[in-house]
Amino acid sequence: MMLIDQYGYRSGLRKVNVMEKFCFSVTTLLLCILSRSFSVSILVLLSLGWLTIRKGGIPVRRYIKLMRIPAVFLLLSTLAILVNISKTPLDAYAVPAGPYYITGSTESVIFGLRLILSSLSAVSCLYFLSLSTPVTDLIGILKKLRCPALLIELFLLIYRFIFVLMSEASAVRISQESRLSCRNFKTAVRAFGGMASALFIRAVMRSGRLYDAMESRCYDGTIRVLLEEYPPKKKEIICMILFELLLLSITIGRNIYI
Amino acid sequence: MKTESMITADNLWFTYDGEDIPALQGLSLDIKRGSKTAVMGANGSGKSTFFLCLNGILRPQKGALSFCGAPYSYDKKSLLNLRSRIGIVFQDPDNQLFSASVRQEISFGILNLGADNETALRETEKIMDALDITELKDRPTHALSGGQKKQVAVADILVMHPDIVILDEPAAALDPKHTDMLNKIIDQMTESGITVLISTHDPDYAFSWADQIILFHQGKVLKAGSPLEVFSDRPALNLTNLSQPAVLSIYESLCRKKMINEKFPAPRSLMELLHFIEGI
Repeated sequence: MMLIDQYGYRSGLRKVNVMEKFCFSVTTLLLCILSRSFSVSILVLLSLGWLTIRKGGIPVRRYIKLMRIPAVFLLLSTLAILVNISKTPLDAYAVPAGPYYITGSTESVIFGLRLILSSLSAVSCLYFLSLSTPVTDLIGILKKLRCPALLIELFLLIYRFIFVLMSEASAVRISQESRLSCRNFKTAVRAFGGMASALFIRAVMRSGRLYDAMESRCYDGTIRVLLEEYPPKKKEIICMILFELLLLSITIGRNIYI
Repeated sequence: MKTESMITADNLWFTYDGEDIPALQGLSLDIKRGSKTAVMGANGSGKSTFFLCLNGILRPQKGALSFCGAPYSYDKKSLLNLRSRIGIVFQDPDNQLFSASVRQEISFGILNLGADNETALRETEKIMDALDITELKDRPTHALSGGQKKQVAVADILVMHPDIVILDEPAAALDPKHTDMLNKIIDQMTESGITVLISTHDPDYAFSWADQIILFHQGKVLKAGSPLEVFSDRPALNLTNLSQPAVLSIYESLCRKKMINEKFPAPRSLMELLHFIEGI
């Protein structure tokens, strides 16, 4: 079972109305991106982190590990903004390297940091949703957003098949490794190719069997299943609105002030 | 009651696309209402193909199938009606479970029968309660153990209240604890009057549980009859790669040594045999 999926099921926020969580994370995410403000980003990062860890029950170490993945990616991609190689030193910092300087301007450093912070806070919004909402509940959102039934069914089946194929892949890999498939690069590549083709064939066969099984339960082309419903709570909605208003006022105030 | 035919198959033939040898080669049999039938035979003898034909998933190229005296009809409405009355639990639950959570999975069948959400929820919860899987209701299906997946697969079918339940090798890949649990569920089904067909390779279980054994060999019925009748036919057992149930072998051995009078009916389980011996 995938870790994020597992946390989604165990989260203390699981039984909060899905639409509430969805609207909250999407609105916060939009405000983070639109405001591009340090204070908004830090506030979002801290408060959503607190919600996910404290209320959701995700271990701090795990949350930091999860945040590290996008953080590394962001650092690498903003490196070009933060660092310059120039013959003349810029105002923020300058490290001499022979005839050149590894340097950066205050403006670009601030811009880079702002970009990293607002992106990280946007990621924290998405983590908030994915670490507190299992995929089963997300189907309900898609339905409410009037997403085409075909896409929802595809979403449901792909989600299920990810795990089926992952377990198949793991079984094939174990079987290959037990027969020294990774003896050298050549055998490893060959084994990987073998696994890919085996998985493709098994996926086709399994989809056929799954369709038979669904048909045997009177499937007529539309997947009908009971969806989880958790009633929205007034208190939660008020807190969310207040939080969004706070972010909005910081954004507007900053724009007026600047 | 048990004399009424539920399913009659007459000279069924079926060949899969691209195959030369037919999977079913003139299969004929009769299943009575409320009966407990064990279908046995070597791998590739046509058991699963026959089950798919019973559910209307496969259509025999030759021969006739009838349900409660009415011949099978393959239009959409008739198939839906047929599938609502004949449920099949597949051998590998991973081929059956498709939903993200257990509750969603179980509700699929009953919602397809046209039940409203309220009824579906009530029935789903009732069946989860009966099978003691209520605590799994919010769990994703991929996070279940093999035994739990099998329980959910059975619940999938029972929620539709079928007249016949077919279980294709229900104990395959299950540990003894989950096998016992599943056997209890099968007993509950038969007690509630559901006609149950299972395919199994376990002669001990088939001998103790079934009231009819059907041996399949190369796509047709090699032998059908009471468990004692079928399991006493050693040539038929050899042909289908089956062994005699342990209890019957011991019983026959004791009879040969005149330790038990042959007039006594053969015990169906080792426990019965034990009581038998203690009573001597």
